[in-house]
Amino acid sequence: MEEDEFFGEETFQHYCAEFIKHSQKIGDGWEWRTSKDCSDGYMCKTQFQIKNRTAVSHRGTSARVQTCLPMEEALEPPLDDFEVTETTTATEVIKYEYHVLYSCSYQVPVLYFRASFLDGSPLALKDIWEGVHECYKTRLLHGPWDTITQQEHPILGQPFFVLHPCKTNEFMTPVLKNSQKFNRNVNYITSWLSMVGPAVGLNLPLSYARAAFQDEGNVDRQDSSIEPKSLEEL
Amino acid sequence: MTDDKDVLRDVWFGRIPTCFTLYQDEITEREAEPYYLLLPRVSYLTLVTDKVKKHFEKVMRQEDISEIWFEYEGTPLKWHYPIGLLFDLLASSSALPWNITVHFKSFPEKDLLHCPSKDVIEAHFMSCVKEADALKHKSQVINEMQKKDHKQLWMGLQNDRFDQFWAINRKLMEYPAEENGFRYIPFRIYQTTTERPFIRQLFRPVATDDQLHTLGDLLKEVCPSAVAPEDGEKKNQVRIHGIEPVLETPLQWLREHLSHPDNFLHIRIIPQPAD
Repeated sequence: MEEDEFFGEETFQHYCAEFIKHSQKIGDGWEWRTSKDCSDGYMCKTQFQIKNRTAVSHRGTSARVQTCLPMEEALEPPLDDFEVTETTTATEVIKYEYHVLYSCSYQVPVLYFRASFLDGSPLALKDIWEGVHECYKTRLLHGPWDTITQQEHPILGQPFFVLHPCKTNEFMTPVLKNSQKFNRNVNYITSWLSMVGPAVGLNLPLSYARAAFQDEGNVDRQDSSIEPKSLEEL
Repeated sequence: MTDDKDVLRDVWFGRIPTCFTLYQDEITEREAEPYYLLLPRVSYLTLVTDKVKKHFEKVMRQEDISEIWFEYEGTPLKWHYPIGLLFDLLASSSALPWNITVHFKSFPEKDLLHCPSKDVIEAHFMSCVKEADALKHKSQVINEMQKKDHKQLWMGLQNDRFDQFWAINRKLMEYPAEENGFRYIPFRIYQTTTERPFIRQLFRPVATDDQLHTLGDLLKEVCPSAVAPEDGEKKNQVRIHGIEPVLETPLQWLREHLSHPDNFLHIRIIPQPAD
């Protein structure tokens, strides 16, 4: 049975192209880069974040988890990345680069990222950890490879941090099965990135989810029968 | 198949005589003697150089020591590549011993991964083993193993225990009899002439007509520029573990006998050196 090409490189590039189309519409900054020696490439985005902000109290873990599912996002107001309730004496600007590459070994997308201060000096892993949201930390600490590690970027050859891809299929399969059950158009990249991105400070505006439904006549956002089961595994 | 089993041992016990010299700009309290060591081809620099580190730390002050890193002729050495691969890529045409420079300052953040502890090497090694199994068995074999089996793989490598390692690794090398080979071959092709660090692609060991794919087939498909045209001169040297396999060698055989402990075939291609 040929499930091997279930999420092949071409499919990956197709979903990235759709994703970037929407990003361009809303000015979200994602772009595609091709590798010099090959036909493959990756999606990337640079964003700036402020460090040393005071931790904002969220409305409990379950609410946070619900906002990760694209379909459920409509029920919760989007969380503001730059929300600062108290001014701290020293705020620093961190430059984050996010790259989405395709892994042919696992046949899934993989999120690579790195962070540096504006003077170019890189952030260490422990500083990155400080930026990981609490609800992800426990899950991410489960195994030596179920977590964030530093690895060589397969195309650029430079050190990046990576969210290990070996569990991606596990949590994406229920999402995709459900979407097939309810005849929904789902952009794999949008769904996947909306789940793994927040763990490392990358949030997707709500409109990405809406963009995936554009081809459908009937958009039912109140459908809560889709269980966030996959996120317990995250 | 006793001959073939010998290949496994030869690969495991391959060594490279190396001379470690402290970088001249490091601050020392007295002269630092070079340190000589036989490096295992299949291991990782930061795993086998504790003695090197201790040797040089003896002549330095604590405050002048931060993370150790190695360099060969100006190129920072990627500790996460197998030692034999680094040597074959960078120094194979130079005379032995391999001369490596040791640094304790100015860690090249843009080029090298950090290696704060042995756990990081273990995580990297196991991550490679896992990825290889994803290609070979859809991760079934590695996931069915217990944690202690994973640990045994690592300990076998760390302590240079061939039998301990292969007791577990042979399971990763097995494939169902009804199939002629693994699903896909885990390999990486390294060329010094390209920007990207290595090439990796999906490639099956067996063709649709059940013919075994050879090393030559792989190269033709994945980096055709490296393979000589039939009538032309050989432009490049293709090496695995420092030897040049015949291009007609079946990939399946290479896979079973010339893989590194991380279960990947690390193939290096460099331009043919001028005579």
